[in-house]
Amino acid sequence: MDTLLLARLQFATTAGIHFLFVVVTLGLVTLLVGLQTAWVITGKQKYERLTRFWGQLYVINYVLGIATGIVMEFQFGLNWSGVSRYVGNVFGAPLAIETLVAFFLESTFLGMWIFGWHRLRRGVHLALLWGVALTAYASAFWILVANSWLQNPVGYEVRDGVAHLTDFGALLTNPTFGMAFGHVVAASLLVGGMLMAAVSAYHLIRRTPDYALHRTSLRIGLVTSALAITLVQGFGFAQFGPVGAVQPTKFGAGDDAQATIAEWTAQFGPGDYTPPVLASVGLGFMILIGLTLGTLWLLLPLLFRDWIIRLRVPLWLILLAVPLPLVAVILGWLAREVGRQPWVAYGLLPVDQAVSPVGAPVMLVSLIGFSLLLGTLAVTNWVLMARHAVRGAHDPALGRPPGPSADVPTEPAFV
Amino acid sequence: MELAWYALLGLFFASYLVLAGYDYGVGLSLAGNADPGRRRAALNAVGPFFLGNEVWLVAAVGILFGAFPVLEGELLSGFYPIVLGALAGVILVTAGVQLRSRPAHERVRARWDRVVVVGSTLAALGWGALLAGLLQGVPRHADGHIAGLTHLLTPFVAAAALATVALVAVHGATFLTLRLPAADAAGAGRLARRLVPVAIAAVGAATVVGLLSARVRETAQRPALGVLLPVALVAALLVARVALARRRPGVAFAATGAALALPVVLVGATLWPYALVSTVDSGASLTVADAAASGPTLRLLGWLALPLVPALLGFQLMCWWVFRGRTDGRAPVYW
Repeated sequence: MDTLLLARLQFATTAGIHFLFVVVTLGLVTLLVGLQTAWVITGKQKYERLTRFWGQLYVINYVLGIATGIVMEFQFGLNWSGVSRYVGNVFGAPLAIETLVAFFLESTFLGMWIFGWHRLRRGVHLALLWGVALTAYASAFWILVANSWLQNPVGYEVRDGVAHLTDFGALLTNPTFGMAFGHVVAASLLVGGMLMAAVSAYHLIRRTPDYALHRTSLRIGLVTSALAITLVQGFGFAQFGPVGAVQPTKFGAGDDAQATIAEWTAQFGPGDYTPPVLASVGLGFMILIGLTLGTLWLLLPLLFRDWIIRLRVPLWLILLAVPLPLVAVILGWLAREVGRQPWVAYGLLPVDQAVSPVGAPVMLVSLIGFSLLLGTLAVTNWVLMARHAVRGAHDPALGRPPGPSADVPTEPAFV
Repeated sequence: MELAWYALLGLFFASYLVLAGYDYGVGLSLAGNADPGRRRAALNAVGPFFLGNEVWLVAAVGILFGAFPVLEGELLSGFYPIVLGALAGVILVTAGVQLRSRPAHERVRARWDRVVVVGSTLAALGWGALLAGLLQGVPRHADGHIAGLTHLLTPFVAAAALATVALVAVHGATFLTLRLPAADAAGAGRLARRLVPVAIAAVGAATVVGLLSARVRETAQRPALGVLLPVALVAALLVARVALARRRPGVAFAATGAALALPVVLVGATLWPYALVSTVDSGASLTVADAAASGPTLRLLGWLALPLVPALLGFQLMCWWVFRGRTDGRAPVYW
């Protein structure tokens, strides 16, 4: 096992787990903003309870988002010190901006939101959630600016083998950025919406007493995911043109790809410049799932007179479909990231020059250790989320009025 | 320009150690606490600040990457096992604190609390070892890379790591003295007072080992500042002890906080103008100026930081202000 392969495996593992949690975070926070805003405006108890229930699931999910996010941030320096050395002047800027503008504020706001129930004025408390959501979007924005630069390096010049920033605006107008950002945000909404619809469907199938509550969240989740899947498809197909133009080797081996490979062979020496087939496989299956989920629109007419609940079969379909968008998200990520190989920064910095000069045994310990740690935490986290989802909305710990009994769990034990 | 960014990096890392330091100190205090209610009360004393504390690290590494990319790559990969340990600790604490109260059974919660204890220990050991590793220099060669990892295996690194655990433990207990309801604060105060002599002994041991190490002596560009560090630490710990005895937890907390910020400031100042001092080739030492990103990047980030840093500090201040004072029956309980 060589260091490079181990480092790549570790990046794939961490980024993959991270991505599964952050899409849920981004999708749910958007829905939560809607729910809490509705509560503050209408004053209806239904929306308060929905905010607490979904807020609780959101907060549990957030734990692993932040934990894997920290590992991602350190990983560049630990395993990929060549990235900082050769392209850090350009690539580091959007990442630094992300940590300051987004990550830092998002967590600060969220801490206040969790502990601000019954303590802050309603408007302030709502404003904090808006702050969490806006900074979450800012986070996705800057991370994708950084990622798009790796897909298509722009706005730089190389002096003494090191890239220097010349035009920051070019990073923001990168053709690999705009549509991808829309695609990812829409995919997050799809994941969040489908999760909300599926958990509600579960409770409606089980005939939990909270009928009205779960009926509302089913409708919200379903409408959101139907709108989102159309956006996902639109932003997805819209990427083929611009991405294919700047990354000729990504989607196959046409004349452009051959010309580019010939260029690279002249510049960097002979090598395998074709991305692994895994990228196109990922792309193919993702499109398949994306088109399948387009059928969500067929469920919308059934919302009329609650046929969707009365027929029950649609509820089962929604419940069973919940892994699909998550699988598609991973496949899409494989298409984008594996399709960039063998480059860290496309056509500029090959992966073998970017990997840190540490020994394979150290890298192996790091890979196994962190995969086990994050894998275990991820599974534990999902189990906890599932238990809280199953437990229902009657008394989530989030937003429970403070009092002497708060330490005694009032909910039935599900451990 | 580079100095300003280095100072900002120092500010964020020092703030991280001060703020997350009490998270970890409170985490360590769970080890000696058999009563589930008190353990939970201790974690909820950190409560609203916890997430905001941990992200100072994220911001510090962001600044490190954006403004000092060369240092970022060399520092993290050159200190690989130490960073790995600290990072694992941070992850365990982050997940443990936030998830421990989600299961309803006390037995499961107690297991999560052990995860928090282990995580807190690892994080404190790791960051202490990192600062010590900087102070004893690194085998950086002319090609710009740090060779091997055995350079980290020294008594000084071990002693400084243990001293950091002791400092963090005192800091955490002092925080609890300041923040728990008055009735419970007395116990935390007694714990903090008992821990002060331990911390002084640990700092003393690290000092002796450091002074005996030729690497440390040669690496220090300003030895006077290096010697000032343990003196200042002991002084801060004594101030904390006196303040705790006089029931002035605020003063004591300021003192233990200073004891966690000072190492960052004084290690940086002792090595200046270098960020990494090479023990094998004096020409291969990395100056702060060479480690910094090039002009356009720093200018861009500078324009951004100018309005942003006050905003970040402002929102943190808001958090501290909103949730100031001791916890009581009205305080929300979530962790």
